[in-house]
Amino acid sequence: MKWLGALLFLGACSWGGFEWSRKFSKRPQHIRQLKNALQILEAEILYSQLPLQEAFLTISKQTPKPTRTFFYFLSEQMKDKNKDLIEIWEDAVHEFMEISYIGPNEREILYQFGKTLGQHDFTQQQKHIQLTINHLERELQDARDDDHKYGKMAKSLGFLSGLFIVLLLI
Amino acid sequence: MLIDATVLFQIAGIGIIVALIQTILKQMGKEEIAQFAALLGFIIVLVIVVNSLSDLFQQIKSVFLFQG
Repeated sequence: MKWLGALLFLGACSWGGFEWSRKFSKRPQHIRQLKNALQILEAEILYSQLPLQEAFLTISKQTPKPTRTFFYFLSEQMKDKNKDLIEIWEDAVHEFMEISYIGPNEREILYQFGKTLGQHDFTQQQKHIQLTINHLERELQDARDDDHKYGKMAKSLGFLSGLFIVLLLI
Repeated sequence: MLIDATVLFQIAGIGIIVALIQTILKQMGKEEIAQFAALLGFIIVLVIVVNSLSDLFQQIKSVFLFQG
């Protein structure tokens, strides 16, 4: 019985550690998805010249999970004509924060980007998209560094702290 | 009398694990937290050792003073 409890405790702590390290490994992935989505958005605006709502729908069809939900939410909300795009965008970013692992820096970048959407002509809009992609690229580098630095540490610390507490209580 | 060796293994295990945690934290460049972890391990081991020592003194007292 004692050993069963010890094993359970150890498993729980290791799991916590893995969950912690997942936060580091998922963040670059999600930032990269956002970058790809913005590139698609740029193409849709410049070449297909779709309105934003349809562009968002197209993006949501082409990107994987958390980003897909984000853009699908946007395009659904934009069907309601009474709402402002900026409000919708902020709601969507808020939702996106819940389901993905992006950090506060990326949130600020997205907020800033949302303010520029639909305000300018093609070339200005393209410049803003490029700027946002550059910002995201920088964040992506940071996130990768963090992953290299802290990813393994989180896993081993979770396991070791579990072992430590088990030894203390035994 | 067979002495229970659990406490020895416990202290050895805590020492090894604290050393590992400290090494990992130091590698990741978190020196303060590493020092803190080492200090914490030291205090915990100190508590265990002091407990055992107090047992030992009680034993000696009961041998030489013939009362509680």
